[in-house]
Amino acid sequence: MIELLMTVFSATFFVTVIRTTTPLLFATLGGLISDLSGALNVALEGMMLIACLTAVIVSVYAPWYVAVLSGICAGAMLGALMALFHLRFKADIILVGFAVNILAAGGTVFALSRATGGDKGTSINLQSKAVPSVNLSFLEAVPVIGPALRSLLSGHSILSWLAILTVIGVWFFLYRTPYGLWLRGVGEYPAAPEAAGVPVNKVRAWSLIASGALAGIGGAQLAMFNYIGFTRDMTAGRGFIALGAVLLGARHPVGAMLAALLFGIFEALAIVMPNLFNWIPGEIIQTIPFVVTVLALVLFSYRAQRARQLKTLSKI
Amino acid sequence: MAPLLEAISIGKTYPGGTVANDGVNLSVEAGEVHAVVGENGAGKSTLMKILFGIEQPDRGELRLDGRPVAFANPREAIDHGIGMVFQHFSLVPSFSVYENVVLGSEPRDGIRFDRAKAIEAVRALSEKFRLSVDPLPPVGQLPVGQQQRVEILKALYRDARILILDEPTAVLAPQEVEELFVAIRALVAQGRTVIFIAHKLPEVLEISDRITVMRGGRTVGSVGTKQVTEDSLATMMVGREIALRVDRAAARGGVTCEIKALRIANDRGGTIAEDLSLNVHAGEILGLVGVEGNGQAELLEAVAGLRGIAEGAVHLDGTSLEPLSVLQRRELGVASIPEDRLARGLATGATIAENLVATRLSDRRFVRNGLLDLKAVKAHAAALIERFSIRAGGPGFAVGTLSGGNMQKVVVARELAEQPKLLLVNQPTRGVDLGATQFIWKSLTAARDGGAAVLLSSADLSELLALSDRLVVFYRGKIVAAFHNTDDLTPETLGTYMLGLDTQEPETMRAALQ
Amino acid sequence: MSSLSSTRRAVFLRELGRALTAVVIALVVALIVIFVTSANPGAAFQTLLTAPLSSNRTMGLWIDDVAKLTLTGLAFSLVFQARQFSMGVQGQVYVGGLCAALVAMSPIGATPLAIPLGMLAGMIAGAAYGFIPGYAKARFGASEIVSSLMLNYIAILVVNYLIRAHLAPPGTGQLMTAKFPDPAIFPAIIPGTRFDLGILIALVATFVVWFLLYRTNWGLKLRLVGHNPKFAEYAGIRASFIMVSAMTVAGAFGGLLGSVFVQGRAFGNLAQNFDGNLAFEGILIAIVARSRPLAVPFVALAYGYLRQGAQLMGIRTDVPTEMISVVQAIIILLVASSFSLPGKALLARLTGRRTVPAAAPEAAK
Repeated sequence: MIELLMTVFSATFFVTVIRTTTPLLFATLGGLISDLSGALNVALEGMMLIACLTAVIVSVYAPWYVAVLSGICAGAMLGALMALFHLRFKADIILVGFAVNILAAGGTVFALSRATGGDKGTSINLQSKAVPSVNLSFLEAVPVIGPALRSLLSGHSILSWLAILTVIGVWFFLYRTPYGLWLRGVGEYPAAPEAAGVPVNKVRAWSLIASGALAGIGGAQLAMFNYIGFTRDMTAGRGFIALGAVLLGARHPVGAMLAALLFGIFEALAIVMPNLFNWIPGEIIQTIPFVVTVLALVLFSYRAQRARQLKTLSKI
Repeated sequence: MAPLLEAISIGKTYPGGTVANDGVNLSVEAGEVHAVVGENGAGKSTLMKILFGIEQPDRGELRLDGRPVAFANPREAIDHGIGMVFQHFSLVPSFSVYENVVLGSEPRDGIRFDRAKAIEAVRALSEKFRLSVDPLPPVGQLPVGQQQRVEILKALYRDARILILDEPTAVLAPQEVEELFVAIRALVAQGRTVIFIAHKLPEVLEISDRITVMRGGRTVGSVGTKQVTEDSLATMMVGREIALRVDRAAARGGVTCEIKALRIANDRGGTIAEDLSLNVHAGEILGLVGVEGNGQAELLEAVAGLRGIAEGAVHLDGTSLEPLSVLQRRELGVASIPEDRLARGLATGATIAENLVATRLSDRRFVRNGLLDLKAVKAHAAALIERFSIRAGGPGFAVGTLSGGNMQKVVVARELAEQPKLLLVNQPTRGVDLGATQFIWKSLTAARDGGAAVLLSSADLSELLALSDRLVVFYRGKIVAAFHNTDDLTPETLGTYMLGLDTQEPETMRAALQ
Repeated sequence: MSSLSSTRRAVFLRELGRALTAVVIALVVALIVIFVTSANPGAAFQTLLTAPLSSNRTMGLWIDDVAKLTLTGLAFSLVFQARQFSMGVQGQVYVGGLCAALVAMSPIGATPLAIPLGMLAGMIAGAAYGFIPGYAKARFGASEIVSSLMLNYIAILVVNYLIRAHLAPPGTGQLMTAKFPDPAIFPAIIPGTRFDLGILIALVATFVVWFLLYRTNWGLKLRLVGHNPKFAEYAGIRASFIMVSAMTVAGAFGGLLGSVFVQGRAFGNLAQNFDGNLAFEGILIAIVARSRPLAVPFVALAYGYLRQGAQLMGIRTDVPTEMISVVQAIIILLVASSFSLPGKALLARLTGRRTVPAAAPEAAK
């Protein structure tokens, strides 16, 4: 027990948590934007996976930042594709999302084998690059807490720092700009912004594109920092956990950040705990985010339903 | 001086043949409150939609400040200074008042949404036009009267010179109506012009300067408010000849349905209708008269079981209906023809046979041990198609392929396949061609003659007068008059009660309610 | 009446035309992909199109796929007809497979009861797992899409864990159980191949689902709720009961698929991640078949052929199997959209009929 506590409250654990949370956080923010505009984006998983592969392959031939950018573009283009089929051709957003996931699952393996010349499992033969970490070892010089600060704050991925900025940016966008107001209006009651002359479909399209771009950053982090290189199915359900985090975070950027952090902690625990307690299986810990999401979903839906019922007489 | 806004010989025919406007003229002077009155179906909404750019006229022209204009969409109308407040608001419930007002044209500070400026602007407008509302709370929490003010502020924020208010008092309580009138007077004092669409004549007479009356898609006339009396106005609005009449009931039986002191509430606990008490006898048609939205449709829903009852009782042959489910009420002999056949009365993707049997799924003739007897279902459908002259390819066709009149016949056929005890009918011939209308009327009287008690609600006064044996008038959620349908009962008389101009002696009313 | 059959025929042809157009476009894209990536595109495309018929063994693989695709297609068709979007078939496959495997590994596994009891266990487990999102929706209003997706992952993780830690032969480090005793594995219909009891089960299931939907009270109510929930309420049909029961019954078929997986000749044991995401391909089958149970086996037949062709192409040529996911995605996107392709108008004119509009406007006669 003491061992557990010591592990959890150590600096290394904190660093691990930041690492696991970063891709989740980006995907969650992407899911949040899409959800607030009124479309449930089930394709976060596929978008991240395709971004992972794109970033890895591009990084073989170009610097790391070009690779990250290409991952973002891949995600954004998928968002645009979804917007085309959902908004213009009226296909159901869930079906379109699943099409993207199916495309991603097989398409990435296909592209991987072409890129590696036959290896369908991993990109280990490719010289893919990593996102640099931010070295803050100068912090050690700070009196008293220096070494602690350094072990906590130095060495994180540059994208992790970007994640924090992105949360602030998303919050600012949603609550301090007119476009954020338009987006939230479109998601909640499209007739109102439409009557006010807001181009509703354009707003929805851009939100899907942004959703894809954010998932893209998450994918880049996953394949260029958390792991170096691509492995098939490497997203392992993170895109769906992100949907859960959107829900758990009460559809607000700060809530999303906290929910993603919570799920990041569980992922980190799943890595750490089997070493300490091999009687708690890793798989069971991995189910925790999903179980928590289902419970949160039920709780939030129940509360919303009760609120409605207090006004109407219920009928079955 | 040229009028501010003119509509000249406007004509509009909808695809499908409905002539909504036929040579309509409207002339609005600057700075006046101009009321447009007329019954449902008179063409008022179509004219307003044309003025606001939602629809385009087939004939005629619009003139603003003496110059011809045409609006291809609402944005253009807004740019020309016309603002419209609809009956159904377009407000985002969780957004605050000021966010709703400025949505789409937000004041900015660089990339930021300048909230302080928005709140300031809304406060200023609110004071200037006596539309007091706190800019900060979320709109969803406000009472309806204040929500309406937010809608008006939306139009004013975009510098509307002409404000069109569509039935603004329909959703307001009396005190709120007074506050609205204060606001309208303030608007006019500030140089704006208000076009006011309404039904309730006392209010129209109180607030407006001039009145244009529409009927049957045409303009009947335009008068100054000071020169007109209530009665002449009512006559202008409702006078028409009755083209068709059916035979009155031979005799009526005992009381089938008893409604006592019924109160129906809306989602927020506010009252839609109250103190409703009436009896319906077997073998008679009781017509519910009134402008739409005064409680008739809600009463029918409450009796059918689709809406809850806040207070009071409904009995069918002595059995209380209140605790029973929709299915249980149907089993007792309640049948209902709903107002909107596409939304509620039919499953357009399913076949005619399936729609016809949908309310009879506990009947042993069609379902035994959970299995459908398809032959019986098909035969039943074929027999009903024959009996009700439904023009369709066959029982296996999807209902969505039928014309409006035939779709309605499917609903009628289903509900009248077996003689019901209590038949609830709402807008039976809305959007239905003449031939099907005649047939449906015959079916309704046949049901009545078979012993059914029929509650009929319709926006078409001539239909009510043609079919009903007795009539009950609704105004503002209460019953204000009741009549036996004799030859000397005229539409004008009903009109005065419908529009709130008169109230009946309680004694007379009680007698007719039995 | 001739007008009845000819309009029905026009509708059928239009639906068929749309499905075929989507498949043709997808195949064209497949051809392009093969062309670009293969050193010998002709051979690759030929393998794709003809390999499944090349031997008894390959035909057995094809039919085995058809059986499984049919079952998942039926499960999705059932929930889609009720207009519910429960995506939980995969989770049902796993819990169903687990329970069937438990029966097979118990003493019952060596008796003749192994197969029927295994199937039954699978169906019950699947039904229970399908019930959960349905109940959450009916009672709490919780989105069945999200809950079912979460439950999928929970099921896979739990089953994988049980295999690794408890069910696999100890000490071997294998990620699958030992092979089930013979009586617990489906017998082969064509010896030496995978053509086994599975396809018969699938065909029976097709009939059962069709019967349920079109010949029972419950099925009619389900379809009416799917068409117009407000109408169902007005007619006195209890929509929430229908929703829950639809997802539960569909779950039974998902669980049955689990039993077919683990007890079929392809596996004969319980392995980690055994379904290879086949459960989700049921979505494609269901939407191409327009959720009609009788069309599902045919769509599964055609799609299974393509799928098997891609597998064999992946083994025998230089084009990886996975390129078929491009085909899958395109088919789903096209079939789910509602725009008119120029080919359809042409087809309609060829058959000499006007296409029937979904809801005819009122005609002033």
